[in-house]
Amino acid sequence: MIDNLILGFETAVTPENLLWCFIGVVLGTVIGMLPGLGSATGVAILLPVTLTLEPVSALIMLAGIYYGSQYGASTSSILISTPGDSSSVVLTLDGYQMARKGRAGAALAIAALSSFLAAILSLIGLMALAQPIADLALNFGPPENLAIILFGLATIVSFAGENVLRGITMAAVGLLVSMVGVAAGFTTARFTFGSVNLLSGLDFIAIMIGLFAIGEVLHQIHRGGEAPIRAGFKDLLVTRTELRRSVAPALRGTGLGFGIGVLPGAGATLASFMSYGLEKQVSKNKAEIGTGAVEGVAAPEAANNAAANASFVPTLALGIPGSGTTAVLLGAFILFGLQPGPLLFEQQPDLVWGLLVSFFFGNLLLLILNLPLAPVFAQILRLPYSYLYPLVLFLSLVGAFALSNNTFTIWVVLVSGLLGYFMKRFDFPAAPFVLGLVLGPLLERSLVQTSALGQGNLFIVFERPLSAVLMILALLALAAPVISWVFRKLRAQRKHGRAASPAVKNMS
Amino acid sequence: MYDETRAENGSEASNATSKSRPAVADVVGTSVLGLVGLFAAVMGLRYGVTAEGGQVGPGFLPLVTGGFVVLASLAELVRMFFFETTTYEGSFMQVVEEVEEEAREAVAEAGEHNPELDTFGRTSGERRRAILLIFGILFAAVVLIPVIGLLLALTLMVMSILIFVERKSIVVALVVAAAAFAVIYVIFVLGLRVPVPTGMLGLV
Repeated sequence: MIDNLILGFETAVTPENLLWCFIGVVLGTVIGMLPGLGSATGVAILLPVTLTLEPVSALIMLAGIYYGSQYGASTSSILISTPGDSSSVVLTLDGYQMARKGRAGAALAIAALSSFLAAILSLIGLMALAQPIADLALNFGPPENLAIILFGLATIVSFAGENVLRGITMAAVGLLVSMVGVAAGFTTARFTFGSVNLLSGLDFIAIMIGLFAIGEVLHQIHRGGEAPIRAGFKDLLVTRTELRRSVAPALRGTGLGFGIGVLPGAGATLASFMSYGLEKQVSKNKAEIGTGAVEGVAAPEAANNAAANASFVPTLALGIPGSGTTAVLLGAFILFGLQPGPLLFEQQPDLVWGLLVSFFFGNLLLLILNLPLAPVFAQILRLPYSYLYPLVLFLSLVGAFALSNNTFTIWVVLVSGLLGYFMKRFDFPAAPFVLGLVLGPLLERSLVQTSALGQGNLFIVFERPLSAVLMILALLALAAPVISWVFRKLRAQRKHGRAASPAVKNMS
Repeated sequence: MYDETRAENGSEASNATSKSRPAVADVVGTSVLGLVGLFAAVMGLRYGVTAEGGQVGPGFLPLVTGGFVVLASLAELVRMFFFETTTYEGSFMQVVEEVEEEAREAVAEAGEHNPELDTFGRTSGERRRAILLIFGILFAAVVLIPVIGLLLALTLMVMSILIFVERKSIVVALVVAAAAFAVIYVIFVLGLRVPVPTGMLGLV
């Protein structure tokens, strides 16, 4: 561990990598802050710009955009009651209420401090967990890999929110899209309709650029854009009482966020909602939550940062993205010829540990940037979206071309953009779709290998202890929402039955 | 009595919809997904579900995944038409749904400066037209790439959006588009050395 950390420091603390880390977190803060530009969009449209960088520098910058945007997103939630990214939606409650009471500065400071605390603690967790999981996964055979991918896909179901079935359907459709072209190990061209361009498959980064950039722009126009900045910056200093009240919620948020972030399919947004819900139940000042309480800022802000870091655990150690943005980042790894997963820790320790150590410096920079400079950054919110989005479209399309030097990719972006718009507009979630898209080739490879190992018998996944446990967990995750739905229905029916019977008596 | 209880439950559960009227978009979207699944499953059968020795063939995953999408879409349609939407009572996701709803209301409340016009000064009808127009301009720009080249086509796209959608003056649109062109040219052509297609014009 110490050796790895030293190796990481040697990689991260070069002037060049520190500079890219700085650029990444500054861009992340700005991207997070701007409504309509989330972390997934930011990473997707800036990925092509990093093509000529060293892989480690590029990944340090792109990861900086991801966790930097978690800081920036809270600023716009607090100041204009408009979340910069979905993970900060919940800050529009107490954060904005604090701003309306003239405590905008304090709310921004609490958000930055909780983010930093959560980021550092979750980074320690990430460093401690990723390597052992990677070591364990090194012994995985095809059945274990197959089981863990299926488990990853199944956890989406449990966290799909309002529409469980729709979440898993979108993941399955993502899998189908990933099957376009000639898959490794086969010679049959699938879903190509005679097109030569489709033989090598659809570039999933192009699809993500379409979904997250073009789709998001169109959706923002549909929603009618965001109101301009309104809050003032009185009382920039945090009081001692506010600080004291924030510590426990921030720690609870960190724990909860880390636990949720580690699971594939459940990202920072869910973590922030759940930690806010938790505070409403356990906080000493729960009566004040919703009216501008620091707990309502500290807890969800800590949770989304912890979850963002934690989602790197499955991404790096298993090659299974923990969230939509880490799915895009996984695309970046693949673009640089790297396959995240256990072998990466063995073959490229300098890259992995350099990246992880850079998180520390990145978060330190973010604290410095966000604590005193948040009001300065907030001026970006005055930038009208009507000028911003044509530029986002320009950058997205040129970037997509740069990925493959093929105009066909631009068509892929355009079609995905239209699809992304409809998905957003009609609440068909993009994150499970993207996870399916990324996991598709891995799933098929492990499926083919498992089938070869079992000489056509796929049930060998239930014959090996680890894969059997994972498969059972996957099946439970799939069945849990259905079982709980049936139970709720039964309970509701019983309740209605009890309520209805006296009425029947009265009538008779 | 029974009906009253139901009505109360219905009004409390903000994300519950009446069982008799699922949203058209939900039905259409789910049906489209189901059809995609059906197509994939049928194609999977044609690609060969099993290979030599009974092992997984190229059609296996399309068949299984497509079949799953069909079943899930059918189940979703049945749920939409015959059951009320889940209200999450007793489920751990209930907390998430409640907080989300609360936040949605807070955002809507803060944004109620002029409910008719959005921040671009557009009504809802104009917004719909704007989306169509933007997509039309995007489409036209991509079609123009083989003729005038990638960068010129996209610069023209930025200009057109600013003039026709955002109603900016031609001078402003020209300045913004030229600046965007310059930045993109420096990053992608000079910096990354991307061989951007110059089209039939062969300029940049």
